[in-house]
Amino acid sequence: MPMSTMPIRRARPLLGTFVDIRVDDAEEARALAAIDAAFAEIAAVHRLMSFHAHDSDVARINRDAAREAVTVDSRTHEVIVLAIEFARASAGRFDPTVAAQLVAWNLLPRPCDASLPDPAADWRDIELLADGRLRCKKPLWIDLGGIAKGYAVDRAIERLRDFGITQACVNAGGDLRRIGSGMEPVHIRSPLPPHRPICALLLGEGAVASSGSYFEWSQCSGRGVGPHVDGVTRGAMLPDRAVSVVADRCVVADALTKIVMSDADAARSVLDEWDAEALVHDSRGQQRIVGRAA
Amino acid sequence: MTRPRAIWLLPGALAALPAYHAAYAVQYMSVAESQHAAFADASEFAPVALDRAALDATVAAVPESALGNDWSPKVWQARKDGAARGWFIVDQVIGKAEAITYALALDVHGAVLGVDVLEYRETHGSEIRLPAWRKQFVGKSARDPVRLDSDIHNISGATLSCRHVTDGVRRLLALHAKALKAA
Repeated sequence: MPMSTMPIRRARPLLGTFVDIRVDDAEEARALAAIDAAFAEIAAVHRLMSFHAHDSDVARINRDAAREAVTVDSRTHEVIVLAIEFARASAGRFDPTVAAQLVAWNLLPRPCDASLPDPAADWRDIELLADGRLRCKKPLWIDLGGIAKGYAVDRAIERLRDFGITQACVNAGGDLRRIGSGMEPVHIRSPLPPHRPICALLLGEGAVASSGSYFEWSQCSGRGVGPHVDGVTRGAMLPDRAVSVVADRCVVADALTKIVMSDADAARSVLDEWDAEALVHDSRGQQRIVGRAA
Repeated sequence: MTRPRAIWLLPGALAALPAYHAAYAVQYMSVAESQHAAFADASEFAPVALDRAALDATVAAVPESALGNDWSPKVWQARKDGAARGWFIVDQVIGKAEAITYALALDVHGAVLGVDVLEYRETHGSEIRLPAWRKQFVGKSARDPVRLDSDIHNISGATLSCRHVTDGVRRLLALHAKALKAA
C-alpha cells in the first residue's frame, strides 16, 4: 500500500441520509474518479428503490404488480430476492411488505395511483418470475428501506474496486463497509440520550450496520410509532433498544439488524446462517453479543 | 494467523459512562475544492451580493429549517472567460443533532448540478437549539467552543435524516428563482 497518498473523503446527501466515502490508497485524481463513480452507483440504487419517487421500480411494483408482471432492474431484483431470503430465514420478522404500516403512521407518503394493500398480504405474496420480472398475488406495498442502504454500500465498494481501490470505507448513515488491510475503530451511537458515539469495535474487512429508532420515534393516534416494523406483529419496535450487526456484506448486516431488533434470541440461528454477529443494547443500556463471537 | 473481521470493544453498561458533550466533525472539502469540482473549466468565481429583502422573501416562501435572520448563503457566479457557467452556493443547515455546511452547484438555467457536504458537525442535546450555539456555524472563522473529536472516523447508529439539506436545497432553488435568475 503506497503510504504517500492522503485519504480522500467526500460526503453527499443520498438514500435519505448522508453517505460518506473515504479512499485511502489512491492518488487524488483516481480517488476522486472512483468516489464519483461510487456516488453515482448509490444514486442509481436510490432512484430504483425509492418508495417516495413515482417512477422507481418500487413505485411501479406497488402500483402495478398485483395486476401484471413488472420488469425491474437487475439490482432491484437482487435486493428483493435477498429480502425474501431474509423473510424466510426469520419466519417473517423481516418483511419487505410492511410499508402499509409506515404509511398509516405517516412515516412514508401514501403512494399515488396504487390500490390499497391487502392487510393479509406479506412477503409470501411476492412471486419472482424469470427475466427479472415479478408479480404480487395480492395488492401490497413493498419498502426496501430496511435493506437497500446496505446493498448500496456493497455496490459502492464494488465500484471503488473497479478503479483499483483496495483501501476504503463507505458509510451510508451508519451502514458501513470497509476494505483493506489493518483495522480501524468504529463508533456506535448510544441508544440512550444524548446518543454519544462510543468506540465499540475494531473493524477489519467487513461491514457493520446499526438500527435504532431513537431519532424517529413519534406518536400517531395516541401510540408510539417508529421506522422499524416487526413483520409478524406489525407493531413498531420500541425506541429503547439498538442493535449493531457485523457481517461480510453490508446488505446482510443491514437486514439482520431488523431481525435481531425483533427478537435477539430467535435471531441466533439467522446470524449463524449468515456468519454474522450482533451487539444488542437493551433498554437499561446493557450490552451483549449474540452470534458466533459470543 | 488470519486477521479477525471485527473485534468488539465493550464498555459494559452504557448508562455508567459519563455524559460529556462529545462532538464529531469532519471537513470534507474546502469551498475552493468544491468550486473546482463543480465547475472544472471555470476561470473565475465572482461573489454575488444578495440584498436582505430577497433573502427574507425566500425564507418566507420556503420556511423549512430556515435560520431566520441569520440566513446568509454565500453565492458565486462561475464564469469562463467572462461567460456565465452557473451558480455556486454555500449554505448551512441545522438538523436534529448536526450542522452541515454544503455546496449547491446550479447550471446557468438553475438546474442542480450537484450537492456536496463541505463540513459536517454533530453534537448532542439541547445546546443545538441555542442561538449562541447555532451562531458558531455561521462563518468559517468563528471560534468553536464545542470539543471536537476529529479522531472519530466512522459512526454506526440510527440513521440521521438528510431532510434538512433537502429542504435547504429547495430554499436555495427558490432563492435562485427570486434573486439570481435575472442577474
